Amino acid sequence: MSPAGREVTITIDGREVPAVEGEMLHDAARKGDVEIPYFCYEPKLGDPVGACRMCLVEIEGIPKLQTSCSTPVREGMVVHTRTEQVKEAQNSVVEFLLVNHPLDCPVCDKGGECPLQDISYGWGPGKSRVIDEKRHFEKPIELSPLVAIDRERCILCYRCVRFSQEVSEDAQLQLIERGDRTYVGTFDDRPYVAPFQGNITDICPVGALTNYTYRFRARPWDIEHAGSVCTICPSQCNVSFTVRDEKVKRVISRDNHEVDDGWLCDRGRYGFEMFDAPERVREPQLKGGAVSWEQALEAVAEGLRRAGGKVAAIAGDASNEEGFLLQRILRDALGSPHIDSRPSRGPKADVLRRLAEPNVSAKVRDIDEADAILVLGTDPLHSSPILDLRVRKAIRRNGAKLVVATERPTALDGGAEAIARYAPGQAAHFVGELASAIGGSDNVATPVAETLRDAGKVVVIWGERIAREDGAAEALLDVAAATNMSTTDGAGLLEIPDTTNARGLREAGCLPDAGPGLSDTTAGKSTEEIREALISGELTTLVLFGADPLRDFPDTPAWEEALTAADFVLTFSMHDNATTAKSDVVLPLETHAEKDGTVTHPDGRLQRVRPSASRPENVVPNILVLSELATKLGLDTGIDSQPTAFQALTNAVTLYNGIEDEQIGGRGLRWQDREGATSARTGTEQPGPGGPPEGGSPDTQRDAPISMVQPDPTPRGVASADPPSGGPSTAANGDLLLGTYRDLWAGPVTELNPPLKFLTPQQRVEISRTDAERLDLKSGDKVRVNGIEAEAHVKERVPAGVVFMAEGVSDGNANALLNGGPVQVKIEKLDEATA
Amino acid sequence: MAHRLEKRVLLEHAEDPDLRTLDGYRRLAGGYETLERAYKEMEQDEVLQELEDSGLRGRGGAGFSMGKKASFLPRGDMAKYLCCNADESEPGAFKDRELMQRNPHQLIEGIAIAALAADAGHAFIFIRGEYDEQADILDAAVAEAYEAGYLGTNILGCHRDLELVVHRGAGAYICGEETALLDALEGKRGNPRLKPPFPAVQGLYGGPTLINNVETLSNVPHIVRRGAEWFKGFGTEQSPGTKVVSVSGGVRKPGNYEVELGIPTRELIYDLAGGPEEGHEIKAFFPGGSSSPVLKAEEGLDLPYSFEAMAEAGSMLGSGSIIVCDDRVSIPHLALRTARFYHHESCGKCVPCREGTNWTVKMLERMVRGEATPMDLDIVSSVQQNIIGHCLCVLGDSMAMPVGAMVRKFREEFEEVMANPDLVLDPHAVVQGAPETLGAST
Amino acid sequence: MSPVDGAGRSNPNLPVDPAVNQGRIPGRAEEEIPELHEVDCPPELAERIETLMGRYPDRRSASIPALWAVQERYGWCTPEGIRQAAAVMRVTPAYLESVASFYDLLHTEPVGTHRIEVCTNISCWMRGGDRLLDAFKAAAEGDDANFFVTGFECLGACDIAPMASIDQRYYGPLEAAEAGVAIEQLRAGDEVLPEKALAKRGLAGDR
Ligand SMILES: Cc1cc2nc3c(=O)[nH]c(=O)nc-3n(C[C@H](O)[C@H](O)[C@H](O)COP(=O)(O)O)c2cc1C
Ligand code: SF4
Ligand code: FES
Repeated sequence: MSPAGREVTITIDGREVPAVEGEMLHDAARKGDVEIPYFCYEPKLGDPVGACRMCLVEIEGIPKLQTSCSTPVREGMVVHTRTEQVKEAQNSVVEFLLVNHPLDCPVCDKGGECPLQDISYGWGPGKSRVIDEKRHFEKPIELSPLVAIDRERCILCYRCVRFSQEVSEDAQLQLIERGDRTYVGTFDDRPYVAPFQGNITDICPVGALTNYTYRFRARPWDIEHAGSVCTICPSQCNVSFTVRDEKVKRVISRDNHEVDDGWLCDRGRYGFEMFDAPERVREPQLKGGAVSWEQALEAVAEGLRRAGGKVAAIAGDASNEEGFLLQRILRDALGSPHIDSRPSRGPKADVLRRLAEPNVSAKVRDIDEADAILVLGTDPLHSSPILDLRVRKAIRRNGAKLVVATERPTALDGGAEAIARYAPGQAAHFVGELASAIGGSDNVATPVAETLRDAGKVVVIWGERIAREDGAAEALLDVAAATNMSTTDGAGLLEIPDTTNARGLREAGCLPDAGPGLSDTTAGKSTEEIREALISGELTTLVLFGADPLRDFPDTPAWEEALTAADFVLTFSMHDNATTAKSDVVLPLETHAEKDGTVTHPDGRLQRVRPSASRPENVVPNILVLSELATKLGLDTGIDSQPTAFQALTNAVTLYNGIEDEQIGGRGLRWQDREGATSARTGTEQPGPGGPPEGGSPDTQRDAPISMVQPDPTPRGVASADPPSGGPSTAANGDLLLGTYRDLWAGPVTELNPPLKFLTPQQRVEISRTDAERLDLKSGDKVRVNGIEAEAHVKERVPAGVVFMAEGVSDGNANALLNGGPVQVKIEKLDEATA
Repeated sequence: MAHRLEKRVLLEHAEDPDLRTLDGYRRLAGGYETLERAYKEMEQDEVLQELEDSGLRGRGGAGFSMGKKASFLPRGDMAKYLCCNADESEPGAFKDRELMQRNPHQLIEGIAIAALAADAGHAFIFIRGEYDEQADILDAAVAEAYEAGYLGTNILGCHRDLELVVHRGAGAYICGEETALLDALEGKRGNPRLKPPFPAVQGLYGGPTLINNVETLSNVPHIVRRGAEWFKGFGTEQSPGTKVVSVSGGVRKPGNYEVELGIPTRELIYDLAGGPEEGHEIKAFFPGGSSSPVLKAEEGLDLPYSFEAMAEAGSMLGSGSIIVCDDRVSIPHLALRTARFYHHESCGKCVPCREGTNWTVKMLERMVRGEATPMDLDIVSSVQQNIIGHCLCVLGDSMAMPVGAMVRKFREEFEEVMANPDLVLDPHAVVQGAPETLGAST
Repeated sequence: MSPVDGAGRSNPNLPVDPAVNQGRIPGRAEEEIPELHEVDCPPELAERIETLMGRYPDRRSASIPALWAVQERYGWCTPEGIRQAAAVMRVTPAYLESVASFYDLLHTEPVGTHRIEVCTNISCWMRGGDRLLDAFKAAAEGDDANFFVTGFECLGACDIAPMASIDQRYYGPLEAAEAGVAIEQLRAGDEVLPEKALAKRGLAGDR
């Protein structure tokens, strides 16, 4: 395709329409308000396939009708979309489509919002000449536990299959058979289980793919759509809730190119069913039972006053306004500097400020145009799923070069040009080496540095957890410098934090050493120091807002101890859990379908969470709870509503100064991009050269060489010298080094959610083939790992000497094994796998 | 001995089984001398020019100038490819089978020389999976050619490389369509691609790709050896050269006959293929495989057998395969057989072809069962019209054209069959030694 | 009866069969690309597929040849065989199944050892292809383990109509009565209809 961009004029139906050379005629027509019917065209799915033939138009000078979805615009093109010839073609395509379609609209979930219905009505011949038998399939059947497929309704537009091939690249959903026997299916009729499968129900233009969670729940005329932001993970995808009788019945994408590209992961799509779980905290609770709000707030105020300043707070899942109010209560009402919003250690405020510099920050859309992408210390599929799709797209469509540097094999390895595996605990060491290797030194990181050196626009997607290691964040800034990020437009760092609104909470002031806007402040204790202080008695009281340390924070035993030692624990929580069980007062949190507030995307985009569904009767807006609590503690915040809270936030946070609610609107606003942002970059995106996509597609595994990074011989390193494979090797006593990761599906979103329950992960220990052989293990064997029972899982790509286990699972949570340093584990075999 | 009407160039010496071996090919046909000369003495442009000048038209169906197509490939050092289309799956066509079976080295030499013209470093022969025997023969011949240094790296010390892979399909007519062939060769389902981009610009693995039929490529060594002028000495002005014509159906001597293009069709069918069985007459014939609109005997027998004459008569020469229907063949049943084939082979990617072939078959089935009315005949006709020109590739048209022509030209026969299906005692017309059981009244 | 007519069997959300709620091991979706050590691929097969992949600039081009190799080894493209090929090729089994099911000669259901394809397309039909097919079916009746008989579209041998492809070799023109002979010869392990083999025929013009 030619490097597009030139403005041209074309004529459609006798009208001149401006267009961009090279764009598809269909798009140009749409912009010129000419509607051309279509089924298969969907630019998000990659190149047009021209399969449905619905979009045929007449182009002067070409004898045959052409598909407007696949015809690039040229200057002076004269197009007709309403001639007799075109009408005949449209009539016949609709007639053909209905030859095999059951026309069971009255009982079809898609009825009323079905493109096939609309197009048949608008462009079809209006009557059918077909009297022959249609094709029959068993219907509907289970494509997966979440999605039903009715193959009789399918019009074989291939959208779903292309999604699986070209977007999620799981390649599980395929066309089986040929011709009119073709059907959409999976290998050996197994369920389609992949983290993004729900998207296929959004893009299917007929009622062939429907959600079990929505089947027969509502009809288009008795629902409303309410836009909000999903805050289940830091991706903060834009969603639209389908609401009926004030309850959420469905979640669909609200397509924000800047954030999610119009896709959702299944956690975000189906997670809403946990809103109504029996475990939901629906009213204030004191130890011993439900109480009125009056009693609860009295008890809380009393408990906090009694602490006499020996109080700390940790925020987790909270809006900016909630975080802002919480830190005000701590600092200004209770006189305590001890507040944090991170599950574990993190960089100091001065480093955070440098990381927040707009000129080293990347926005999500920069990934699309990046020349090289470094995924560092995170597996986006698990920690920010939507970015996994974004990186794949950059490789597939833009030919971006990917480098993966992680402890654990990632879902993106197959598309990587170079991969580095460092041992758990070696991130800081590795990143340091990487910075100097990019700068020209020859060291362990050289093989991967080569792809990044002089690469042009480099986007680094890095996991917050690498910064638990001292010096890692500083080294990351050295990488930024070595790749000239600050002077390269479209290059930058993009953090994937551990919690959903981490950036917003930090910027709102929920940090031990920085106040609102990352301002200087009296230093307080960080999360781990708070824990130790509770144990030692230096602190007596703890406020947890949307945080569940017993599940989510490292070192569960220490947290158990801390919570037990505390005199008074106040927990704001959406659900009952182990932490609420140990709390003195539990107050209900709103869900993201109920809450009103703003959150800040990891790239700095302020987004608005809007109330879409009704709250349970005794759940009240959390900002009101907090401001009332402040009043009770003698602090008048002047906040009595979301607008006043937002005003107070933007006044206090310099980065947000002057941002108006309307500017955020439905699409959000990056504070770095707003008008008058002092430190914001001014550069606009240059349209990239847009070279042709690489011939090979990234779902063909690339077999990137994996370089094993030698452990740092000094502190915290892995034992043993001269590892045979070049990787960390087994300690002399046969112990293995433990690496952990947060599994996508671990947590309440699967456990408390009937439709997703089947995805609830169980603990397993991923082990290399070498170690498995040595320990005589095979996949499926039951083992015990330092007291935790798990299933062994032999993985080719796991380096020898290391094992990986999941955090956040309900049984055998690996957080219980972590203690802030490297952890060696012993593996005992319990039972053979049953064949 | 070849018949006087035959002009054997591609099939010269083909009766000798030795021709299949490298030695035999060298001895009998001067094999690989042209390749040697081309590689050692000729530039890409010279070869290209010779091919263009010859006027050689593609023998795979579309009849496009081979030299011109090769000249469309962009220059530059990107990887370029050559694909030999040996998928031959169109009903009535079996000439490529004969050429590969009897003279595999001629094809290999042609490919190697064409690769020079296309500047391709990698060539593939995509052969239909059913032609297992022929694929084995090709495999052996390719191995011999590698051994002798005609393929591989640094061919004959000329610093040129060519890898040649025989790739077996697995049973799908659509893979003969050039872009579907590319998808199949890339390991995917054989679905046609949108054009443009044309394969010459963006084909296999996204690189410029020249795709030619077996017979087209088999002509190449002869043209380069003896020159474009020599080649143009055969055939007509617009259809130069000889053509291997497959004749089958209701004739006494079905088989492949190599003739100069432009010979009277009647001579091909009567003098070479022996004409109809004793006591029967020719009712109609497909002049260019099952995709070509049928011609009634009186319309077609006296036409010269050339691309232009067939096009003028509203049909086409296609792959050059004549299927003869004698007076026992029931045209409605023939239409159904034809439609069934395309229905079975439709890849299913685009709607008009997938559903149009399906619907047509269902309607024709009703007709021969006597469950249709003349209105259905109109619907069948209009459905064929609705398919033509609306599909992603021309497979749909390939059914719609012949079926449409049959309904148009033999309407009364359809009406008769619809009214009296029982009159057709055995719709499975048996030509050889079968009782007189055919067509209602024709 | 659930409101969703019996579907969603493994979905605990639906009052169908809550017992299926077994939980899942993180990251393991049934159809991901299997690892080699999970599939027990015979080394010869793995080696064969590796060699095939080596012949192409893009290893995925070897999917049809790899499926042929699987079919040769197991008689048809068994799910296990497909998984093995998928592990070697590093593509999903679903991808290979999709490819296999597109092509008529690759079987995704069990078939008999000897494969007989009888052409019933135009030229053969005119000369008795349907009868020949019936004759083969009758002769092989009841012996599905040994014989797979099917009608087939044009095999590219209209000159020997009516014809059949027996174990990938062409024979014709055949009388219906020869079907039984061929089946017996296959059973006995003898050469099949030697005088009707296409390989033995001369050029049409020379006959
Ligand atoms: C449905 C369909 C099937 C085709 N089958 C064949 C075939 O089997 N062999 C062939 O050479 N060309 C076939 N073609 C034509 C090819 O697309 C292409 O035009 C040809 O291979 C080019 O070679 P040529 O220029 O040498 O003729 C087919 C075309 C269509 C639309
Ligand atoms: S199931 Fe829906 S999206 Fe998939 S091919 Fe059929 S109609 Fe298209
Ligand atoms: S939208 Fe253009 S062919 Fe389907």
